[in-house]
Amino acid sequence: MKQAASPSSGTPDDWWRSLHKLWRAALDVQDVTAVASLVYRVLLQRPGTAVVVGARWGEQGLTYVRCARPGQDEPTTWPALSAQWPFGTHHPAVLPGAGGPQVRSHAFARPGDAALAPAGQLLARAHARWAVACLFPLADGDSAGLWVGLDHEPAGAQAQLLGDQLSQIADVLSASNRRILEARLHERRQARDAFLAEASLQMDASLDVAETLHRVARLAVPAVAEGCVVHLFGPGGLPRSVATAHVAATAQSWLAQVAHDDAWLRAQLQRGAEHPEVRTLRDADLAGGPFGPDAAGQGATVRALSITPLRARGRTLGTLTFLYGGDDTGLTDQRMLADLSGRAALAIDTTTLYEQRRRHVQLLQKHLLPRALPAAPGLELSAAYDVGDTSLDVGGDFYDAVAAKDRVVLFIGDVCGRGAEAAAFTGLARHTLRTLLEDGMAPAPALSRLNRALTGEGASRFVTALVVVLTPAADGWDAEIAGAGHPWPLVRRADGRVEQIPAPGMLLGVVPETAYEPTRIRLAAGDSVVMFTDGLTEARSADGTHFEEHLPAAVAQYAARGESPAARLAAAASAFRTSGDDDTAVLIASVKGQP
Amino acid sequence: MNQNHPPGKQPDMGRLLVVEDSEEDAEAVQRALSQTHPLLRLEFVTRGEGLVERLADADEVPGIILLDLNMPGIGGHALLETIRARPELARVKVVVFTSSTAPAEVDACYAAGADTYIYKPLNFELFRTVLKGAVDYWQQSGRQPPSPGSGPSPSVK
Repeated sequence: MKQAASPSSGTPDDWWRSLHKLWRAALDVQDVTAVASLVYRVLLQRPGTAVVVGARWGEQGLTYVRCARPGQDEPTTWPALSAQWPFGTHHPAVLPGAGGPQVRSHAFARPGDAALAPAGQLLARAHARWAVACLFPLADGDSAGLWVGLDHEPAGAQAQLLGDQLSQIADVLSASNRRILEARLHERRQARDAFLAEASLQMDASLDVAETLHRVARLAVPAVAEGCVVHLFGPGGLPRSVATAHVAATAQSWLAQVAHDDAWLRAQLQRGAEHPEVRTLRDADLAGGPFGPDAAGQGATVRALSITPLRARGRTLGTLTFLYGGDDTGLTDQRMLADLSGRAALAIDTTTLYEQRRRHVQLLQKHLLPRALPAAPGLELSAAYDVGDTSLDVGGDFYDAVAAKDRVVLFIGDVCGRGAEAAAFTGLARHTLRTLLEDGMAPAPALSRLNRALTGEGASRFVTALVVVLTPAADGWDAEIAGAGHPWPLVRRADGRVEQIPAPGMLLGVVPETAYEPTRIRLAAGDSVVMFTDGLTEARSADGTHFEEHLPAAVAQYAARGESPAARLAAAASAFRTSGDDDTAVLIASVKGQP
Repeated sequence: MNQNHPPGKQPDMGRLLVVEDSEEDAEAVQRALSQTHPLLRLEFVTRGEGLVERLADADEVPGIILLDLNMPGIGGHALLETIRARPELARVKVVVFTSSTAPAEVDACYAAGADTYIYKPLNFELFRTVLKGAVDYWQQSGRQPPSPGSGPSPSVK
């Protein structure tokens, strides 16, 4: 079994050659463990070597033990967590800190010798009589040990020589480790940049604040930390938890609960929000809270917390909190956290502004339409307004109904375009018509008057409008109709027939002095007059047909008396539509009888 | 290590099983983990069929199963359910990964019994960091005392 040492092995010349080989390998490899087999091979060639044992320690204690005996090609490795871990639980916890390698040489007494742990058992198995040990630091919180077990007591000079050689190997391994750490740092920077890029993509993907933050928190776990919590400050400055992610499913609901109602965390977040930069809490800072070794439950494994304020345009919107389990803070550093929180805050702010603007638009739109239709005895009035697109602009459609004296006035109209300017003209058109018609003016002169107002204003928008004035007559209602460039109304007779009533006339706001001609018809009980904007007729289906073709049939079906016929007609067009983004207004008056 | 063993086979935290049908992705996982955890013993399978039976019959099970959710055949979601249906595998940690960060998808996986949900980014360095985070977490949680007071942390700092 004993390896027959070649005559030259163990001579100084041979050693320098081996050392040179080690240096070259060390500069080539990506991991210090890859150079290991060479180290073991070289040491096994030392005269009298019965066994070579290696061990490595990290922050958490021993990470592995390795052993090679003569005749073995590769050393055997026992990771600290493997099921076959044969070395009990007692190891020297910490190795020499600063400084160079420490070499000891002594007679081997018994496997349990504390000075030899964790190599004792392996030395004993190989029947070593003497051991030379070298313990050396590789980096902060990372150290290693090498033991050479000899089958005889060495002569004084030989022990000294072997000790020196172990120190030289330690230097090689330290240098190799430094190179690896530098490479890791570079890779970490690349990963961090990639993370920020991915996070930005996620933030741009949605205008829903809560969903965006959930996605970002998920992305950050476990790349950045074990857990991530995002809070936004509500009214009164209280932090409200909006997103939580934890690497462990079982800890997810615990963390959500802590984020939601833990008073200690709330106080820390409020302090963190006032802090100009990242606040990191560890050790004593964690006292009294749900995190850290003294905490009960799932927070006990959390070693550190970082709280970063989310600031955009001078305001603090909330906080971004990370939970770290180990001392390795992953991709995080001050710059990365500042960068991430800055991007998140801006995304939140933009989204919030968007939502605010959308609410304003809805509010404005509501003010452009009547709050409720008036009660008109003998008639049933119904109206519907359907917003065609989801953009942030106010549509230009309007309608109104006025019951004044003995008559009922209905009108509907459309201002070209969308947005604030269209909204201004919509307001002007609706209120002008309403005032004139309320005062008793007939439809045609009311349109002429509105036209004069618009051209006088130098209106940059065209407006269409249709006015119907209903007056009780002997056997029903008399309808006086005038149109200005607007789709003509339909009348559904009690028997289901649908007819179009011509209401020709020039659009408003184009030619200063325009006169309009009214049309008169008679509506009997059961008849309905249907007014609408072009959003209804121009709704287009997938095959390219317009709803206009189906309109008479739809009117026949829906415009009979019943529950909100206007809403049902608008819904039919909306269901038909696959393209066309105009708003749709519908106003229907059905005759029940006389007032 | 623990006095009270929960049911299920003692998993080996030094072993990790990758269930991944794409050769490219399996190669990326292999490259990433061999750099960050050189001592972790990796095994690869390309399909979920029959896997649970094989694991349940084995004497020793891997500590972590890394599962690609978007697999053809039996599929990641179904495999996750069959793993969780076997009490023998109760202590194996299942880490699922997909290319989605949709909250609904995460919730569904947690409800189905995944221990960790990770997002698979395109960038290799980031993918390696994400994998490392998940593996470190479960290796360390396997080593840490389950409740406070049952022993000091090995590090003196």
